[in-house]
Amino acid sequence: MIISTGIEELDKMMDGGLRTSFCYAIKGTAGSGKTVLSLFMTLGALKAGIPVLFISTEVDIEKLMIYGKSFNMDLDSYVEKGLLLLEKMSLKPMGTNLVQTDRFDLSAIIARTKNRMQTINAKMIIFDSISAFFAEFKYEKTARSNFMDFIREITNEDAVLVLTAESRMNEEYSTIEEFLVDGVIKIRTELKNNQLIKRISIPKLRSAKPINSENRFIINRDGISILRSEQPPVSIIHEESSGIEKLDNLLGGGIPSGSVVLIEVDGETNYFPLFLSTLCYNLEKDKGIIIHSNVHMYSSRIIEDFKKADCDIEPFMNKGNIVFIDKYNRSVTAIEAREMSQLMTTDDMISVTVELMEAFQKSNQKVVVYGDLTDDANILSESEFLRYFALQSFNIKEKRAVAHSFINFNAISREMLARLRTTADIIIRFSREDYTTYIECIKSSTGATFLPKVVKYKEKIPLIEIVD
Amino acid sequence: MSLKIILFKSPSCSWCPYLEGVLRHIIADSDHLELEIIDVSKDIAKAEEYQIVAIPTIVLPNNQRIIGSADEAFIREQLDFFLTLGS
Repeated sequence: MIISTGIEELDKMMDGGLRTSFCYAIKGTAGSGKTVLSLFMTLGALKAGIPVLFISTEVDIEKLMIYGKSFNMDLDSYVEKGLLLLEKMSLKPMGTNLVQTDRFDLSAIIARTKNRMQTINAKMIIFDSISAFFAEFKYEKTARSNFMDFIREITNEDAVLVLTAESRMNEEYSTIEEFLVDGVIKIRTELKNNQLIKRISIPKLRSAKPINSENRFIINRDGISILRSEQPPVSIIHEESSGIEKLDNLLGGGIPSGSVVLIEVDGETNYFPLFLSTLCYNLEKDKGIIIHSNVHMYSSRIIEDFKKADCDIEPFMNKGNIVFIDKYNRSVTAIEAREMSQLMTTDDMISVTVELMEAFQKSNQKVVVYGDLTDDANILSESEFLRYFALQSFNIKEKRAVAHSFINFNAISREMLARLRTTADIIIRFSREDYTTYIECIKSSTGATFLPKVVKYKEKIPLIEIVD
Repeated sequence: MSLKIILFKSPSCSWCPYLEGVLRHIIADSDHLELEIIDVSKDIAKAEEYQIVAIPTIVLPNNQRIIGSADEAFIREQLDFFLTLGS
């Protein structure tokens, strides 16, 4: 049985939630929010109708209720319903004096806890905190080793046991609790720019991959919200070949998935050899191709050019792996296009592209998008054009696709080019001097840029060769 | 007037039979002390009432508690006040 922690983001971090017959430890420095977190976990279970036994070793039950109220928790109502039982358990009840030896076990607290569990049929037991509990023992080591019996006996009852434990500042080593428990939720508070920032991580999680990266979290009256990770888990960058070996090598292995490649050309440079070479390669690799066709880039021209290179791409096109999206009518404005209803606006273009990307990905195909931006830059207003490019780029990154966007840099303003360059992950620039064409990479998300290299055009695929 | 000393024990506690023997031996010599033995596995209510955590626990009439087992000399030392009381 999996019990939600009551905090959606924490459930995700913990592979769905807390598992019965598992023991978890909430570790944190003093004042980091261990008790509050355990109270919110209690509330999460109670809301799902799961009975909870809350054992407090430190704070009196009355104080705990007041504490709960300060976070808008109506614990009383759950006590009345018989879903919640709060119990103070400590070695030294108020007013008693202790003489201790090291020859003891913890069978009394085990028996008492089991008895209380049976009273309400508790499936979640919170023990707040083991640090305060052990602090009362003169022979702490004996208490800690006997506590293993407590963990075993309680989790054997098909219940979740959550312990809170105080960790010391800069604690580098793992304490005994971390070895005993099945999962560790670590919270800490740090002072940054005069602000107290709370962070949460899962350094240990049995049967699932632990999340060592720390997420920020905020505690307020309405609950605990965990913010998205600032340091997401390191994932292996998947690089895709461009179809031109030399270009891949120069780019440090290929084009990473989720990249927007801006290819800058002047009016005289023909980008088609590069376009067709990568297109042919991606079709052969059974990728899903989306082409935003326009006056330069349209199906019959592409087929004709391939034929000239002794390459027949019609079978690939018939397979349905290549889709042309005809943009809005270039002779009308976006508003007029809306009015004419049958023509696309930029927003339509974006949504259709996303739908197509999703469709390809459903059949496990990687997606490559091609488009010539030059016409868009001329027809759309500057703000509309930049918005369109930014949205398309965002979708490409989200869907881990690759986009090749061609632009005639002579046709747009320097400011606009600068804005496009900011959004793009990789910038490849073609330039010409004395009848020689050069290719260079002036920006790369992986850092692998390269200086101008001579480009030679060839008759057959690949139609482009980069010469050192 | 007799004073009650309570020993909390459990079946899993390996030191309890010895400690019980020690206590019985000490109490036998005293006419104003009385020993009550509670097995927490059978009488959980008493364990709740006295908020017992560790076993064995000896609860003395002056709110003092002895946690853990020990030899007779140690126990006698702790009970000294009660043993001499009234004698």
